[in-house]
Amino acid sequence: MYKWFLAWRYLRTKMIAFFGIASVMLCVAMVLVVMSVMGGFLDTVRDRSRGLHSEIIIDNRSMQGFPYYEEFSRFIENRLPEVIRLTTPSIWTYGLFRIPATNFTVSARVQGIHLDDYVQLNDFKRGLHYERYFPGTTTFKPQGMPVVGIGENGVMTLPPDLAAANALWRSNETDAAAIEAFDRLPFERALLPRVRPFVPAERVFAVDVGEAGYRGSKRPGIIVGCDLLNIRRSDGNFDRVYARGTDVALTLIPLSPAGNPNRQPAARLALRYVDDSRSGIYEIDSMSVYVDADMLQRELAMDAQPLAGGGFTKPRVNQLLVGLHEGVDMNEAKALIADAWREFYLSLGPGLTMDDERALAMMEVSTWEDLQRPFIQAVEKEKVLVTILFSLISMVAIVLVGCIFYMIVEKKTRDIGILKAIGASGRGVAVLFVSYAGAVGVLGSILGIALGSFFVWNINDIQDFLASLDPQLRVWSPDIYSFDRIPEVVKRADAIWIGLIAVFASMVGSLIPAFVAARVWPVQALRYE
Amino acid sequence: MAMPILEARSLRKSFGSGSTQVKVLCGASLSVAPGEFVVIMGASGSGKSTMLHLLGALDTPDSGSVSYRGESVFDGSRSKQGAYRNREVGFVFQFYHLLPELNVLENVMLPALVSNSFWAWRKTRVSARQNALEMLDRVGLIDRVKHRPNELSGGEQQRVAISRALVHKPALLLADEPTGNLDATTGSGILNLLAEFSEAGQTMILVTHDASVASRADRTLTLVEGVIREAGAPTAVEHKSEPQKPEVVL
Repeated sequence: MYKWFLAWRYLRTKMIAFFGIASVMLCVAMVLVVMSVMGGFLDTVRDRSRGLHSEIIIDNRSMQGFPYYEEFSRFIENRLPEVIRLTTPSIWTYGLFRIPATNFTVSARVQGIHLDDYVQLNDFKRGLHYERYFPGTTTFKPQGMPVVGIGENGVMTLPPDLAAANALWRSNETDAAAIEAFDRLPFERALLPRVRPFVPAERVFAVDVGEAGYRGSKRPGIIVGCDLLNIRRSDGNFDRVYARGTDVALTLIPLSPAGNPNRQPAARLALRYVDDSRSGIYEIDSMSVYVDADMLQRELAMDAQPLAGGGFTKPRVNQLLVGLHEGVDMNEAKALIADAWREFYLSLGPGLTMDDERALAMMEVSTWEDLQRPFIQAVEKEKVLVTILFSLISMVAIVLVGCIFYMIVEKKTRDIGILKAIGASGRGVAVLFVSYAGAVGVLGSILGIALGSFFVWNINDIQDFLASLDPQLRVWSPDIYSFDRIPEVVKRADAIWIGLIAVFASMVGSLIPAFVAARVWPVQALRYE
Repeated sequence: MAMPILEARSLRKSFGSGSTQVKVLCGASLSVAPGEFVVIMGASGSGKSTMLHLLGALDTPDSGSVSYRGESVFDGSRSKQGAYRNREVGFVFQFYHLLPELNVLENVMLPALVSNSFWAWRKTRVSARQNALEMLDRVGLIDRVKHRPNELSGGEQQRVAISRALVHKPALLLADEPTGNLDATTGSGILNLLAEFSEAGQTMILVTHDASVASRADRTLTLVEGVIREAGAPTAVEHKSEPQKPEVVL
C-alpha cells in the first residue's frame, strides 16, 4: 500500500515532479496536434476527393476527349443495369474568366456538366451557396439578373420564384441557426447593379427601386469556384463581391480531334454568375468554373462537326462519369465496366478514323480512389513520417523523466533506507518509483490531451490571432495545403493511444532509477546524507 | 538465562579493500534474552552501529551469523529479511529518519502501510490508524498528529520515531544512539520513555557511547577492537508486567 500512498504524496509535494508532468504534457500535446492535423488532413483529402468525383471515371486523360461516349453509355447501362445507376458526360478545358463590370480577369479550369445528373453523383450540390437558400434556382438555363425590388415603403422583395424557393427552404430547414444566419445576410448593403461593387461585403442580390424581377438579357448560367470570385474572411466565410446574376465573359480555345487549336477564333461566351461552389479544396475552388456540358461541347467544337469529305465527326467528351447502385463494390464494378469497354471497343470494328482510333486506344476505367491515390498515399506517408519524427522528439520526455527520477532517487536515498529499514522490499521500492512515474505520466497525459485538444479545436482561431499580430505567422496557407481550414478534429482513439503510450514511456523512463533504488542496501541509504 | 531471542555469532565486517580496508567487527558475538534491555557501549567508530545494523539485517556480515528465535536471518531471501525488519524488529535512529512528506500519524502508520497490500489495507486501515493514535497518545503526541516532522522539536521527532518503531509491537527494538542528537534533558526524557517500554517487557538493544545510559540497562556490553565483552555482571531479567502507558515528561 505504501507504494501508491507515497507515489501520490510525492506527486503532490515534489516540485520536481511537475517538470516531468510538464514535459510529458507538452510531448503528448505535440504528438496529438500533429496526429490530429495530419489525420484530419488525410480524412479531408479522402472525403473531399470522394465528394468531387463519381465512383467510376472513364476517360483518356486528353483535352480533346474521346468519341462514342453516348453509345458506350447506353451499352453499359443495358449490360449492367444492376451495377450502374447513372452515367453522365463531362468536358473540361481551360479558359479566361472575366467580369466585364470590373475587368477582373483570371485563367480558369472550365468544366462542362449536366448539372441535374452531376449533383446525383457527388457532393457538388452541398457546396452551392445560393442553391442552399433558394433550392431549385441554380440552373445553367439562360436567365436574367435577379434584382431585389425596393417598394415605396422601403420594403425589399425578392423575385417571386426566389421568394417561393426561399420559403420552401425555410419550411424544410431543421437548423434554426441556419435560418437565423440567412436572415442576417445584409441585403441592404448590396449595391445597385449599375454601381461597380468595389467594396468587399457580404452581398446576395442586386437591389433596385421598383418591382423585384429579372433585369438584363438572358444568358446561360455559370457556377464559379468560391475562392475564384469571392474574398475569404478570417472566419472561413466569404465576402461576395459580386451579386448573383453578375455578367461573366468566358473565352475558350477549341481543339480539333487531333488536339490542335482550331482555325476558328476563340469562343467568347456571355454568361451569368448563378452560384458559387465550395468543395473545400483550394486548388479547385480557386480556379474552377462550371457550365452546361452541351453548351461547352458546342463552343469547343466537340459536337458533331461536318467533315470535308461528307458526313460528321462523332461528338466528344473528356470523361464519362458513372454512378453505381448502393452496395455495389467499386472495384468489382470497375472490372465489369473495363470488360464491357473492351467488348464495346472491339465491336466498333475497323471503320474508325485515325484520330478516333488514337483517342479510344488511350481509354482507362478508374475509380475515384485510383485517380486520387498518388495524392492520398503521399499524405498517408507524410502523416506516418511526421508522426514518427515527432514521436522521436517525444523520446526526449522519456529521457527527461529518467533524469528527473534519477535526481529524485538520489534525493530520496535516505527515505529509501528508512522504508527498507521498516521492511519495504527492493521490488516494492522499485514499484513505488515506477508508480510515481506512472502517475506523472497519467497527469501529464491528461493535461497534454486537454492542451492538445484545445489547441486543435481552436487551431484556426489561434492562427488568425497570430496572423493578426504578424502576417508572417500565418503558417497554414490554403493555396499550399489545398484546404481552406486547418483540420480541427481530435479522434478519441488517437488521444487515448497517445496518452497510454506516454504513461508507458514515463514508466520506462523511470526503470533505471527505480532499479537503482531497489538495489540500495538499507544501511547504505541510511548513511547517505 | 532464558532461550535467546537473538543470537549473533562471530560476526565479522570490514569496509574498503586492500590497504584501505578497515576491520570493524572481528568475531563479535552476543546473545539477548526475551525482555532484556541490553546496552552496547563503545567509543566512536568502534563498530556499535555496524553491529546493530547486522542484528537488524540492514546490512550483511562478511562472515558469522545472526539467529532470531533460532532461525538464521541471513539464510533467506531479501524479501524474508524485509519481513524480519517489518514484523520482528523496530528501529530507532540517532537522526530520527522520519519521512518529511508525511505527517506524524502517517509516519507512525508507515510499518502498517509497508506490511499491507493495497487490498488488505482497506480492511486494516482503521485498526492501523487506531494503533498509531494509541501509540502517539502513549508518547504524549496525540495533539501533534497532523504536524510534519519539520514542525517538531528533536525530542518530539524521536518520540515519533519510537512510536513508529513500536507501533506494530515488534519483539525487538534496536536503538542506535537515540539520544545522541538531543540535549541532556530531552535525551533523559527519551531514555525514560525507553525504560518505560523496557519495564513493560520490550526487548531492546541500544548502542551508545554515553556511560550514563548504561545504568538503565539490564546488561551492558562493550565493543572493543571488534569484539563484544561483558561490561559487568548481567542483571537477572525479571518477569515484567504488561505494557503500561509511561508517564513521560520531556
